[in-house]
Order: sequence, then structure tokens, then C-alpha cells
Amino acid sequence: MAEHEEILERMRASIVAADETEAMAAAEAALAAGIEPLTALEEGFAGAIRAQGEAFSNLDIFLPELVLSAKAMQAGVSVLEPALKAKGIDAARSGVVVIGTVEGDLHDIGKNIVVAMLRSAGYEVHDLGTDVPIPNFISVAEQTKADIIGLSALLSTTMLRQKDLIELLNLKKIREDFFVIVGGAPVTEAWMNEIGADGYGLDAHMAIEVLDSRTK
Amino acid sequence: MLSFLEIAKRSETGPMAIADELGMKIAGIVTGLAKKYDIAYDPEVRVNTDDDLADRVWQAGRDLILEIGLYSINSRRQILFSEREVDEGLAAVRPEFTAGEGLDTALVYRRDVEDNRPPVIFGGPFNADVHQDMFVRLNEAFAGEPLIDLLLLPGYLKELDGIMIRPNSGLSTRAAMFYGRWAREAISRAGRPGLPIVGHAVMALNEVSSANEEWGLRSCDPRAFALISELQVDDVTLTRLAHYQAIGAPIYTSATPLIGGYGGGPVGTAIIGVAGHIGSVMLGSHVMHLGPQHIKYKQQTNAMSLWLGSVVKQAAARNSKMINTTSVTTSGRPGSMQYIYEFSALVLSVVPSGSNLTGPRPAEPLGWNNVSPLMCRLFAEVGHAATKIDRKEANRIADTLHEKYKDKIELKDAPKGLPFEKMYDVNTLQPNDEHWALYEKGKSELKELGVPLE
Repeated sequence: MAEHEEILERMRASIVAADETEAMAAAEAALAAGIEPLTALEEGFAGAIRAQGEAFSNLDIFLPELVLSAKAMQAGVSVLEPALKAKGIDAARSGVVVIGTVEGDLHDIGKNIVVAMLRSAGYEVHDLGTDVPIPNFISVAEQTKADIIGLSALLSTTMLRQKDLIELLNLKKIREDFFVIVGGAPVTEAWMNEIGADGYGLDAHMAIEVLDSRTK
Repeated sequence: MLSFLEIAKRSETGPMAIADELGMKIAGIVTGLAKKYDIAYDPEVRVNTDDDLADRVWQAGRDLILEIGLYSINSRRQILFSEREVDEGLAAVRPEFTAGEGLDTALVYRRDVEDNRPPVIFGGPFNADVHQDMFVRLNEAFAGEPLIDLLLLPGYLKELDGIMIRPNSGLSTRAAMFYGRWAREAISRAGRPGLPIVGHAVMALNEVSSANEEWGLRSCDPRAFALISELQVDDVTLTRLAHYQAIGAPIYTSATPLIGGYGGGPVGTAIIGVAGHIGSVMLGSHVMHLGPQHIKYKQQTNAMSLWLGSVVKQAAARNSKMINTTSVTTSGRPGSMQYIYEFSALVLSVVPSGSNLTGPRPAEPLGWNNVSPLMCRLFAEVGHAATKIDRKEANRIADTLHEKYKDKIELKDAPKGLPFEKMYDVNTLQPNDEHWALYEKGKSELKELGVPLE
């Protein structure tokens, strides 16, 4: 068991060091040593990446470190994925998210932070980038069988698009298929309520909390 | 010096890059530059007094812009500059220009570190959400403040007749026209018809319809642009630039590097801030505005931003002829003492560092019209007073002020403040008794702390 703990510690260290190669090697070592893939995922990678997310929230680390840690996590999880699937466990156990910055808005740093944190928290994320037309969110969400749509808008002029998405989902009678979360500098709880979104995130940390506690 | 046409061509022909990857590349480069130039952040310092440090930050920022250039988001291409082009661009910078017309013409000029000339005051609603019913009156009250040299960003018209404005829509075009027309009406009502208006209407291409010499924004009115973080431009920005440069309007460009973003901490972000200013010069800008933004606090008066503001402005003031200004956005909102503490701290940080002043504004206005002309007056008065002290004394006072608000810097904890209508009599456009009392109390406390206010 000491060997198992040593490997799990190696996995955790690879995330903190943001070392993709080491994360993959540690994941392989975990499977070779007979560690349950879910244990490797939860106790090896997930705890470490959550800690990185918290460190970013406190600004003990900055965006580049968080992004690189999330990439290392993705690389490591890709090694575990076949073993997880064989046991009937979905690596994207937290949910599938389609996310982007709405049409007319090219700001991406806030959205990128949320993407990194979501991936850290075990979500499968389809990042559509910036300036994304509203119908694209819906078509990709349907294709990927997503259960969450995330819309970022930094400008008070472009947040109107978030309302458009809700209306379009209603029109297509698929509103209940998706948990819609909105975010961005001008977005408030009042705006979320006004347009009928399911949640909003003042920052990335809050967005994860909202999604983790969703019941839909 | 590069022409705008050449910039526009490079945005179509430069090397292609992926935005996220370029962001991470910037992260790596600034880490190396911080080591190369031995740049460190001292969390105890609010106002930098180390000239050599400022010069090293300048060198690092210059290296960064030479390596990365600017990034055109829509074409996904880098707009690169040679060393010679950057040097020529910096050499050609205008150290002063005039804006506005007639008796209200403003001289906008560069300032040195510890310059005893007053900062140029860019004051106004600063594009906080302004309701159409109050647009003229609120701007009239700002324009009536004599210390304001240029009326700044008369306000977001988020709605027109109760309907939210969609970018690029016909409604957006109409709103842009009203923006220009109502801003002109406001300065006329205030008795300063020639007052320059720094404009940026509706955040879409339609805003060019706000331009009209007779009733809208004039060619003597500066137009504001924002680089997207980090070091990015988009087609809307380049198109607006093409239009406004063609009509001869002064160009005012903001760089808002994000502390905690791709620059990492305050050191890397300061390097990006300098690079953003040089990039703005290359775009043909006349005023270089820094927004020392923090990714967690989402405002600009936290300890890191105070240091960043001082060091970037000193770097630019000591090493170029560019005209500098700094935006001041706070956690506390107008109608609270915290608002006064916060804007005064950043004013004291940047004015002795060679900056002019832009603002103030709450980072998260609560609802419509959450701004105060009287607070802008005090902001300007603190700015003028800050020319009478050196950086060391400014550091002492800024630190004392920071202590007063640092525990309420999270936006959710900061005082909610009041809308214009609750701070002013909207008929007489005079502050009400409570607001006057707040002004007097703030002024008195600042004097006690050593701010040499009149």
C-alpha cells in the first residue's frame, strides 16, 4: 500500500508541477500497480487539481499555472480513461459543458479560466471560443449530448445574447434539456433571473460551485 | 512611422497564431524577461520610488512588443513590428495636443515623474450604465465641474425606450446618434459648448454614426479604444481607428493588463502594460491609458494595482514622450467614504508617477447612474494636490488609505453607494446636503492624512 500511496503522490505532484509527461507516466504506473482507476482519478489527480483551482482563486498561482495544470490533468486522465470506461465509469462524471463567449464579444480570458477550472473539476468541456453565434451553442450541445451550456459576455451590450439563447431553447422546446449558466463582468443574479437562466457565476470558483450543486 | 494602412495590411498578412497559445507564450516570455531584467514586486510598496526598476520594466515591455506585436483576433494574425519601427513610432509621439474647440479647448499633455503641472482630468460617467432619461442632466452636471478638462465617456446607453440594444442593430445606430447628440446638448447646457468629449458609443461599429460636426461627436473630440487583454485588437477596433484617424480625431487607447492572467503576478503584468502602451503608440494613439486591473478583485485599487500603476506610468514617463493616463475603478461606490479612500490612493500612486487621470468609477456600478460629478471634483482636487508631494510621501499616504479599505475590497463586501438621483437634486443639479457632507468629510480626512488639498 505504501507503493500505491507513493504513486498517488507522484500523480498529485505531476499536476502541481504541470508536467504532462509525468502525469501520463504516473497514471500508467498507477494502473500497472493495480490501483483502481477511480481511486487513481479521485485521489491522484482530482484532489490536486482542485487544490490548484483553490490556489488560483486565492491568487497563490496565476492563470498560466492553472492552464498548464489542467492540461497535465487532461493528459493523465487520457491514460486512465480506457480503464475507467471498462469499469463503466465516465471520466466526465461531473457533466458535459458547451461553453463560449457570445457573438459580438471577443473577450476570452474569463471564459478560459472557467474552462480550465471546469476541466479541473471533472467536466468534459467543449470550448467554442469567442464571438460564437447562439445557434452554434445549441447545435454543439445537441451533438455532444451536453447537459450544460455556459455563456460568457464581458460587455453589457453583448449580454443580451444570453437572453437570446434562452428564448431560442424555449422556441425549440428543449429548454429543459440544458442547465444554462451565464457569466461575465456585467452579469448579475438579477440578470440571471430576468432572462430565466439556471445559474450565474460571479467568477470561475462560483461557477463551479453552482454547477456542482445543480439538481437539473 | 508606420501608417494605419500598413497596420491594417499586417493584420491580414502577419503570421497566424492561436489566441490561447499566444497567451501562454506571453506568459513564458514575461517570466523570462522578469528574470533577465531582475524585476521584483515588493508587496509593501504602493508607489514605486526606484527609477532603475521603472527603466527595467520599460526595457522588458519593449522586448515583449518586439517579440509578440499585437494580435488581430478576427484574422488570427500577429501584427509584428521591427525594432526600427518601434523606435521611429516612439520618436514620433506627440507630447501634447489640443482637443475640443473655442474657449473650452483642452491642452492634453505628457507629464514627467514628480511633475508639478496639474494632471489633465478626463472625468465623466466613464461609460457606467446611464439611463436615457438622465443622460443629458448627468453629463451636464459633470461638464459643469470646472476641473474636468475633457468629458469622459458619457455613458452606456444599454437600453433605448426600454428595449435592450443589440450590437450592430438599427437600434444601436440610433442609440449612437443619441449618444453624440445628447453629449453635445449636455456640454452646451453646462455653458461649455467646446468642451472635448472622449467618446466610445455602443461598443459596435454603428458607433461611427455618433460622429457629426453639427450635432454629434466632432473631429476635435478624442475617440476611445480598448486593447483586448492581452495585446489584442479586433476588427471593430481597427475599423473605428481607420474612420477616426481619417477625420483627424485624437485617439485615446486603453491597455488593461490583467494581474493574475497571462502576465502572472504584478511584475509580468507590468511588462505587458508597457508593451500595451507601445503597441498603442504603433496604432497611432495620442493618449495611453492604463487600467491596472486585477483578475480576482475586478478593480484597480488593490495593493498590486497601486504598485503596477505607479511602475508602468513611471516606465512610460521616463522613457518616452507619450501622454499617460490611468483609469481609476474602485470597489466602493459613490456615496461612500470607501470610494474616496480608494480613488485617492490610486491618484496618489499615479500622479507623482507621471500620469494624468481618468475616472473615477465603481468597478461594479449598481444599476443606472451610479456615478457622482462631485466625487469627480474631489478626485481632480486630490490629483492637483498630488503634484505637490514626492513619490515617497505619496507612498506613505496611499498605504494609509489602503489600510482603510483593504478588508472590504471584494465587490460583494464593498459599500453599495447611491445613484446620481439620490446624491443630487436633479432639478438644480446641485449635490444634496448628505453628499456635500460626505465630500467635506472626505476632504477633511485626506488633509489630516497629509494630502495638500486647497
